[in-house]
Amino acid sequence: MMAQREPTAGAGLRVAADTGSCYPDWAAVYADNAIWVYRMIVKRIGNVPDAEDLTAEVFLAALRPLRTTATVAQVRGYLRAITRSVLAAHWRQTTGCDITSIDDVPEVSHEADHAVDIAAAQQVRRVLASLPDNYRRILDLRFLQGRSINESATQMGVSVANAKVLQHRALRRAAALTEKDEH
Amino acid sequence: MNARRLRRYIDDLLCGRRPRPFDADRFEAAQIRTAIELRAARTASGAPSEDFLTDLQRRLAAWIPGAQENADPPNGPHATRRQVVVAASAAALAGSAGVVAGAATERVAPDGRSHANRPSMQPGDGSWQVVAASADVPAGVMRPFDVGSVVGFVRRVNGQPEAISGVCTHQGCRLWFDRPLDQLHCPCHPTSFSPTGQVLGHLLRIAPDPLPRLDVRELDGSIEVFVAEKPPNEPA
Repeated sequence: MMAQREPTAGAGLRVAADTGSCYPDWAAVYADNAIWVYRMIVKRIGNVPDAEDLTAEVFLAALRPLRTTATVAQVRGYLRAITRSVLAAHWRQTTGCDITSIDDVPEVSHEADHAVDIAAAQQVRRVLASLPDNYRRILDLRFLQGRSINESATQMGVSVANAKVLQHRALRRAAALTEKDEH
Repeated sequence: MNARRLRRYIDDLLCGRRPRPFDADRFEAAQIRTAIELRAARTASGAPSEDFLTDLQRRLAAWIPGAQENADPPNGPHATRRQVVVAASAAALAGSAGVVAGAATERVAPDGRSHANRPSMQPGDGSWQVVAASADVPAGVMRPFDVGSVVGFVRRVNGQPEAISGVCTHQGCRLWFDRPLDQLHCPCHPTSFSPTGQVLGHLLRIAPDPLPRLDVRELDGSIEVFVAEKPPNEPA
């Protein structure tokens, strides 16, 4: 019994695999797992260039010592563990401090993935909802809508300098709220 | 003093550039985290680009020994099947045929030829190590072994040796064999495994994985187990 690859299994296709079976080769491991590994990383890193580098790092570290006798479930557990340590190393390097929330890297499944997305979205909504109006608006424009600082300033009817200060303060307030949530 | 660097970090993040590392204090790190969470909540973020996925696959193919052939199978439709054959296959064929206890993989290529020089996923990063004399593993005996990096049990099934890891998949405690019950027990938590490695019972919140099977062969009156240099299920 082996993981079936679809005939067109190209890069990144998520192939349905019975978790008790084995992957036929490294390409199947890659095709089945590349997307969730990347998503797990980009959600915690927030920028594409670093997320791409770290995804490559995970697979370069994982695939060489991997043996075909490992089951799908074991391979995913292994990838999850490597992803976690790659993220931890990245954070130590980037900010010089350990960020604890990456420990909660969940089990891999569509449901879990979805649940994490929902939980994250709820957390963001909760934080935004408890901010003053102008703070919420600047964060919404800048982070969620991806508007430039000039556009955001125009939208809000304030100067660019003012918008920058607002963004800075809003982020501080949001971070303080998030921290308080966790302690 | 870090204020400017934090601002630049956030700006880079918002522009999709690679942010520059700096020594953030706790609260600055919290702001970075919040910024990342906000950014990740944006719709349509999160999926890798096809270009990146294809490119990484190509880089991996160039980097992993033997993978080049996988990426471009030179021998027609059988090539894919053949990749299932691990580095150990030639050695296994050289010994008595069919003694390898493969979990779910096929050891012999469909055309019956060995492919000593065509490793795919475990390209020789390991070695066969003697774990017992053939005579010490008669039918019905579960024989423990310890070769340093691998601890396990070997026994015979229909005359052929089979081996499983002797380390609990939960927290890595060493298992012991309960002969009367024909079960492996974990001393740390009440978890038990069958001689084939299946979980028989546990009181953990999440069921532990079954015990990994080990590649085993019988050669010149000895039973040998393939020991990978870095066990696949014990990441750093």
